[in-house]
Amino acid sequence: MTTVILRTITRLVLPLGFVVSFAFFLQGHNLPGGGFIAGVLTASVVALAYLAYGLDVVEEDVFGREVETAVEHVQHGVVRDYQTLYAAGLAVAVAGGLAAMLYGYLTDTTIPFMTQTFRYATVPLFGHIELASAVVFDLGVYAVVVGALLTIISVVGAE
Amino acid sequence: MTTNLVIAPVLVALVTAITCILVRFAPRVQRTCSLVGVVAYSATTFALLARVWPANTLAYQVGNWRAPYGITLVADPLSGFMLTMTAVVAPLTLVYSVRHLKAPGQRVSYHTLFHFLLVGSTGAFLTGDLFNLFVWFEVTLMASYGLVAFYSGRDGTLAATRYVVLNLVGSSLMLLAVGGLYGVTGTLNMADMARWLAAASPAEATPVLGLSLLLLAVFGLKAGLVPFQWWVPSAYAAAPAPAAAMLAGVAKKVGVYAVIRVGFVVFAAADPTFTLGGLAGDLLAAYGPVLFALAGASILVGGLAALDRPTFEETLAYSSIGQVGFIVLPLAVAAAVPDLRTVGVAAALVYALNHALAKPLLFLVGGLVEDAAGTTELDVLGGLAGRSPTLAGAFLVGGLSLVGIPPLAGFFGKLLVFRAAALGDATVALAVAVAGAVLTIAYVSRTWNRAFWGERTDVVASMGALDPVRLAVVVALAGCIVAVGVGFGPVYGFAEAAGHVATGPGRDAYVRAVLGGGVA
Repeated sequence: MTTVILRTITRLVLPLGFVVSFAFFLQGHNLPGGGFIAGVLTASVVALAYLAYGLDVVEEDVFGREVETAVEHVQHGVVRDYQTLYAAGLAVAVAGGLAAMLYGYLTDTTIPFMTQTFRYATVPLFGHIELASAVVFDLGVYAVVVGALLTIISVVGAE
Repeated sequence: MTTNLVIAPVLVALVTAITCILVRFAPRVQRTCSLVGVVAYSATTFALLARVWPANTLAYQVGNWRAPYGITLVADPLSGFMLTMTAVVAPLTLVYSVRHLKAPGQRVSYHTLFHFLLVGSTGAFLTGDLFNLFVWFEVTLMASYGLVAFYSGRDGTLAATRYVVLNLVGSSLMLLAVGGLYGVTGTLNMADMARWLAAASPAEATPVLGLSLLLLAVFGLKAGLVPFQWWVPSAYAAAPAPAAAMLAGVAKKVGVYAVIRVGFVVFAAADPTFTLGGLAGDLLAAYGPVLFALAGASILVGGLAALDRPTFEETLAYSSIGQVGFIVLPLAVAAAVPDLRTVGVAAALVYALNHALAKPLLFLVGGLVEDAAGTTELDVLGGLAGRSPTLAGAFLVGGLSLVGIPPLAGFFGKLLVFRAAALGDATVALAVAVAGAVLTIAYVSRTWNRAFWGERTDVVASMGALDPVRLAVVVALAGCIVAVGVGFGPVYGFAEAAGHVATGPGRDAYVRAVLGGGVA
């Protein structure tokens, strides 16, 4: 699989994929896109890198860590970080929902779980933009998807 | 009046599950978090119960999106009954698990899976939305897959594969049925769907019949009814004892609950002039014979198969197929005879409660025996009663409750099932129930005679000491069974309030609580 063509294409596609997935993530709460699809895109881009450069590429080239064996890779290495990533993502998503309840408690009203709100802001260069609290939940979803998919890909890929 | 208490049990379990992943490298902290979480779960559930008792319905619109557009959670006596059952079994089982499972297993996944199982079943009990019911089913299943495959190895993997494949098929069918129902009724909110069905003409409502029966088949699969019982024995035998206790005690009840909620609350709302092949009555009348066939076959197949199983767990697993049949039998009668809706649903709930207490107890006794003696083969066990009278006493309470001896919870369960069948003039159902009761006596006494009475075998004589904590858990469950039997009045009162939602006025109250006055 690891031909020069694949490696070159991967190097081209990698940044593009990350940018597109970031755009999907940002607009996802009210336009086509969202944390889930952005996460899938990010994970596929990394999977492509795995295909082109081997399973140790993230571990060695990105984090600069030594990988001893395949078992090591699954039990302690980057897979552990992926697992923490999805746990953290879950935590962020739930915390985003709980924040509404906390706000309700502080202001003496009952606001249900997951209630969202938004504000408009004017930022130089970007102009009039919408700031939505739903992005927090989306960020959680994004982390869960990236973490879970990459865990699966790395573990199954190592076997 | 909305209160965050409605969603609190789901959130507590969810936060605990996430915390358990995050602190997985500190086993002690993880264990503590898990135990604290399950206690908090029970506390919030009982607080919610106090609000629902004796017959209130609380609706909760997640994200403040009004029903039927948003996600609605509903806590009514029916949900309250199931949740309370869970809140009693879960903490006891978890305390047992902490002592039962080896540290590495607990660290890797057990606590997280356990709490996700709670998240899924609690969500399923609380949701007021058909699609969300599907989602909560999936959450429950994902956790169950992990628990069944927990010991991996040949048996665990085989059982889990079987379980996964069957449930994947089930889930796809469920998704298909839910999609179809959305296409026909234009809504996924259960209360809104009930309202649509009440207003629809028979011709409009006809497609719902087929789709609803497809759903019923899926719920039967989750509940492990014959002919969908294949996954049950291997899954329960392969899972660790406390996980099997949770699967039999809680996860299986999700299927039964779904039959009641979706069948008796939503589909029963259809126009009563519906007819199908000579069966006059509302849409549920078509459910009657189907449910009866499933329940009758389960009682007989489960009971007969449990008679000659070689091990403790397998006997219990097959018994659990038969016992779920007993839970569904009064539902079949209630579906066919509209006047018996409350009685039938109440009988099913009481029986479910009995099974949810007795079956985990028996599985946990099995776990203790396996741990101390190294085997649960009935052939090599014997004389356990003399070895540990406490353990034998607890087993006897659980076993007799399955059989239905007063004053235990199971007596009232059986009594109500028989009563529903008798009131409905369902002679065949009564006969099947009697046959099932005889079979239950047979396999419970067989297990008792083989394992607890008789000569003390070498295996039992050389058995190590039993863990007092786990023994205490088992005794506590036995205490619950006695308590439910002795203080049965309020339990039945609550079950009846829960059954009321299956009647016209009860359904109207449910729909009003969810949709708030009825304007969409």
